[in-house]
Amino acid sequence: MKNINFSCTSPTSDECLKLTVRKKGSAKQSMLPLLVFALPFFIFATTGFAQSVGQLHQIELWAEKIPAGAEGGSERFAYQMNSHVISDMDGSNETDATARYVTAPTIPGPTIVINEGDEVEITLRHVFDPGDSATLDQVSVHVHGVHYDILSDGTIEYINLVQDESATPTMSYTYRWTAAPGTAGTWAYHDHNMITLNGAEDRGLYGALIVNGAAETVALDQGGQLVTVPLSSINKEYVMFMVDDAFFGMEIDNQTGQQTPLLDNPALAAQQGSNVRFHLVALGTVTHNFALPGYSWIDPGTNLIISEKIIGPLEQYVFAVQANRNTQYMDTAFSSSLLGMKGDFNVIP
Amino acid sequence: MKSITFGFKKITVMAWICLAVMLFCSNIVLAATHDIELSAETLPNGQLGYQMISHTSSEGATPSYPTEAVIPGPTLFVKLGDTINISLTNNTNVAVGMNIPGLPAGAEAAAGGGTQSYSFAASQQGTHPYYDEGSQLLGLFGAIVVDAPDGTVQSFVEGDGTITAVNRTELDKEYIMYMVGSTFWGAEIVNGTQTPLWTNPVLAAVQDEVVRFHVLSIEHDHTFHLHAHRWLGEVAPAEQGDTPNIIDVKLLTGKADGHSFTVKAGTGVGAGMWHLHCHVVSHMESGMAARFRVDEPGASAGNSVAGATPYGAILLGPNQSEPGLVTFEVSDEPGSWFRSARSDALAPITKTRSLEVMSPGSSAHFVMSDTNAVHTITTLIWPSEADEGEQHSIPFDQTKAYRGGATVKLDTPGLYVFTCKIHPYMFGAVIVDDPSTEGLDLGTKIDLATGIKDLPTISDLATRILRTFFVATTQENWQDYTSTAPWTVSYPDVPVAIGDLDGNVVDNLPLKTVLEDRYGQNIALEQLKTPADNGSPAGVGEVWINTQFEKTAGKTKPGTITVLDTATWKIKRKIALPAIDMNNPHNMWSSRDQSIIFQTQWFDNKLTFINQADGAMIDNVRIGDSPSHVMTFPTSDDITVAINGENMVVRVPAGTTTPDVSMPTQLAGQIPANPHGHWITPEGKIVTPNINTSDTGFYDGNTGQILTRPAAGGNFPHGPHPIAVGIGVDKVYTANLLDHSLSVYDFDGNPITTINLLADYDPISPTGPTTLTDKDGDGLVTVGVFPIQTPVDPTGRVVVTANTGGSITLVDTSTDKVVAMLPCDPGCHGVNFGAKAGGGYYAYVSSKFSNRLIVVDPDPNGDGNFADAKIAGTVAMADSSATTDDAVVSLAGMGGQGVLPIPNVYNGWVQNLPGEWKTGLTGEQLDPAP
Repeated sequence: MKNINFSCTSPTSDECLKLTVRKKGSAKQSMLPLLVFALPFFIFATTGFAQSVGQLHQIELWAEKIPAGAEGGSERFAYQMNSHVISDMDGSNETDATARYVTAPTIPGPTIVINEGDEVEITLRHVFDPGDSATLDQVSVHVHGVHYDILSDGTIEYINLVQDESATPTMSYTYRWTAAPGTAGTWAYHDHNMITLNGAEDRGLYGALIVNGAAETVALDQGGQLVTVPLSSINKEYVMFMVDDAFFGMEIDNQTGQQTPLLDNPALAAQQGSNVRFHLVALGTVTHNFALPGYSWIDPGTNLIISEKIIGPLEQYVFAVQANRNTQYMDTAFSSSLLGMKGDFNVIP
Repeated sequence: MKSITFGFKKITVMAWICLAVMLFCSNIVLAATHDIELSAETLPNGQLGYQMISHTSSEGATPSYPTEAVIPGPTLFVKLGDTINISLTNNTNVAVGMNIPGLPAGAEAAAGGGTQSYSFAASQQGTHPYYDEGSQLLGLFGAIVVDAPDGTVQSFVEGDGTITAVNRTELDKEYIMYMVGSTFWGAEIVNGTQTPLWTNPVLAAVQDEVVRFHVLSIEHDHTFHLHAHRWLGEVAPAEQGDTPNIIDVKLLTGKADGHSFTVKAGTGVGAGMWHLHCHVVSHMESGMAARFRVDEPGASAGNSVAGATPYGAILLGPNQSEPGLVTFEVSDEPGSWFRSARSDALAPITKTRSLEVMSPGSSAHFVMSDTNAVHTITTLIWPSEADEGEQHSIPFDQTKAYRGGATVKLDTPGLYVFTCKIHPYMFGAVIVDDPSTEGLDLGTKIDLATGIKDLPTISDLATRILRTFFVATTQENWQDYTSTAPWTVSYPDVPVAIGDLDGNVVDNLPLKTVLEDRYGQNIALEQLKTPADNGSPAGVGEVWINTQFEKTAGKTKPGTITVLDTATWKIKRKIALPAIDMNNPHNMWSSRDQSIIFQTQWFDNKLTFINQADGAMIDNVRIGDSPSHVMTFPTSDDITVAINGENMVVRVPAGTTTPDVSMPTQLAGQIPANPHGHWITPEGKIVTPNINTSDTGFYDGNTGQILTRPAAGGNFPHGPHPIAVGIGVDKVYTANLLDHSLSVYDFDGNPITTINLLADYDPISPTGPTTLTDKDGDGLVTVGVFPIQTPVDPTGRVVVTANTGGSITLVDTSTDKVVAMLPCDPGCHGVNFGAKAGGGYYAYVSSKFSNRLIVVDPDPNGDGNFADAKIAGTVAMADSSATTDDAVVSLAGMGGQGVLPIPNVYNGWVQNLPGEWKTGLTGEQLDPAP
């Protein structure tokens, strides 16, 4: 077996750039296999560990019920951030990040933004009255993408054969996640235990975890040109869950870290010329066909510039664009179109 | 079929470099030739599978294959550039072929008993499906893995983030996970030995073993998710970007799809029973989960565990020591909506195609293989003990309708009846029989989806439902009024074990005798007599009836429109529309001038526009999944269609055939309402019976705003299943199918009362003289079991309800009491009012499991008192001499559902009729609710 590490410690280091060039591949370069295999292994494999000293996020999340309003229909459920404290791994240098979030349950739930190398200790509390319905007694957080052991799977004993990993009206449950190298990306977290053995994720119990890569850069399409910009140049993050009948959005202002719930099919607004990043996660039963007419972006993992994408439930899809014209984001699938599953993307001059 | 030009997309960048290096440095890699003999076989549960007969390779060694037919079929491992020659012998009784990406077009299927050869070059690297086109969802699928000539496979992501290239020789194991319906079909390959793991297995590996997954799909969309592991998305080398695409969910889409990846078991996360499932919520809810068990090193570590198998413990199965699998195909075919895959063999015993028998611990498996609709697979009945304790799958249900299938393990002996919530007469039953007890176990007590608990199986309700099951699921058990033969219902002649009122087991009861004693046998059917034969007035115009089950020569799908001339009571025309294979036509409405009929196809997604004058099709458009009822706004003439399989009412603007917008029936993110038979108030409110959310929805027809959604039903609040709405002058009536009631509201949605149609019925006791008596003391014995359509007459004075249980009830709207009951046929379903010549109205009533239309005169003497309502006449829906666009071949006139009298005389619409349709109507009929 041969090893290579894709996570360059510094985007400007010569080694990374060389590697990038070599990956494009040509007959001549492929004559140098030993160099290609060996260099990255020796140079980066060790430095990869060095960067894993990250921060610790201590989070208390609440699971709430949102009763049906005047319009009737089914109740929904949602997560709410109760507290988020960031510190060094040993607990020193605490920063309270709770003010980033609204003080209400939201759909999607709070977006948890961390860096590769960080760890998360997330305590879930079941704070609503389940009434006489035993099926509402358990609620959990199951996360995608990052590392966790079987006790933080967020499933019931019937599935994991260890224990019910749930918060109940009388007991909280703490999950531990490690954003180890190789886990950078945007991942969903969601319930896995309420109502059914598969959970009630499609009743509103979902949110996003953004793991920013160490010194990550973001690829942008600027007039057909592939441009790489630093993560710090992204002004806004739009977390957009594509459920079966609507987009549910959460906006994050990267200057302040402030999160704003956008509800269903929101109008998005961005300053002309600013860079914004979309984090799409599908959730439910429907396969979506996402489009943002007038814009195109880099298909993650590739060098392709594309302008629409088919996304299935719990697939995640991240891309960035530079805001330069008004348009609408939309799901062009048949039923989604009839349901009006779209919203404005407005550019403010 | 998958594109044949997908090239080298399946290898990672390092693998690509490896390959390039190998090609550059070496010319010793030579393409091999594989000669493969396969057969197609019928498995013991009726499913089909491919079997490896022989495989020789010019390279020498070939894998060790299972010696029986398996699902998925044998995995064919070849290398890029190899030549593959396949000879397929078909030992089944249907045509079987092999579709393989890259195979030259024109390769034909082998007829039953025949042989067909296929020859192709492995020109595209990656994991590809091979499958039969036709029976693919029944088990005829497998994987062909085309690896790089040097054996490089997908790299994996280490726990520390490094990406490690792997050669196939370094793999500890490979798994095939085929995602089909709502089931994983697995196989394992270790050191060249292929082992079937069947359905939803436990895949196992020792921690840090390097294993490759081959995930494939057929027909339906799936998203594969493995807990706590992540892997590389597949990118063609030429398209490789600067960073890897690390994923933990992968969409498989289209006709057939394949994806493969390598993981190091438990890396970064440790040992554990890791969940592995499809992340499509409806598939999760229908049981689509397996496991990936990562073991600490140890003696029995890493041994996978197979799931339920077609060879296992089912009735007549060969291996009673392994958990077995019974399979139902979900179908649009009348009666056989849940058709056992081995129904040809079982039906002589079970007298239905929809009943299976298996041992405790085996699984029931459903696959939506013969339907264009969305469905749910929902337990209607289950043994009372089956949902107690640490049981998580019973009751079995899904939140919304979907495409796929279901798998559910049944441990508790007894009777399970499955239905579809969208099409609630679709029934499939499984008897889980403990082989050590006498008689087939129906269980002592059953629970019903409506919330009824611990119902003794000796009760009238239990056996009545069982009888309904045998009538509904067997075409031969339907009432044929064109025959003089008495009506005979076939029941299985088997001993059963049921429970008495005290919960004691009663062994060895002859089921056939019990049902015949209780409900009669060889019943003479009433002779047909039209209203004219009875001296009653003629109707006005035509009645269009959806004879939804009638089969014609030029279609695979059932259903016709039967057009009745009410002047002569003769069938004027049959409309089958073979050109579009019209599928289960369910409900109709007419345009303002009556020149165009709008027709829904309930087991499809189409709305069809038909010329009233000659029956010719005008247009056929996609409208939404399982469209049920259609109706125009009396003001704008815009067409509204309730999308029963989804969450909206779709609008087609007047004068067009293209849907432009929908009105969601619930707020975003709420459970879909799945509206069925809506109606529109004179003021333009759309009122929907929301079958999935147990309420009646009131919506502003102009803005689409949700006004209010009051609860429906009251007898059994757990699942009343509101299914149809009727609207009078100032009140709304909702029929609640499983609540056996009518909910009454004012136009603002305020509940007024609930009319209990079961008030005179004793469901618990064994059938006897007191089963039906005047319990509510109103001087009448009336019962309405499973009410469906429930229109109010144009004057707003009387509600006529068609009750599936075989009765017609009439409610006087001035008192909201049942004032009369008339007999109806099994599956009594559709009703609408048309003008009676000279004044007044007829209610035309159709039945699913008979072939006659019943003409009800709710007020023969016109005195406004409906207690003397009578059947004015009956008309055969079968007529082989009628003009038709496609010859009727079977089920003549059967399946009566939607009914549309023309001219449309409902208040609000009648006023808009053109002059030619107004002639023949009285002044009162032209202004019915002044």
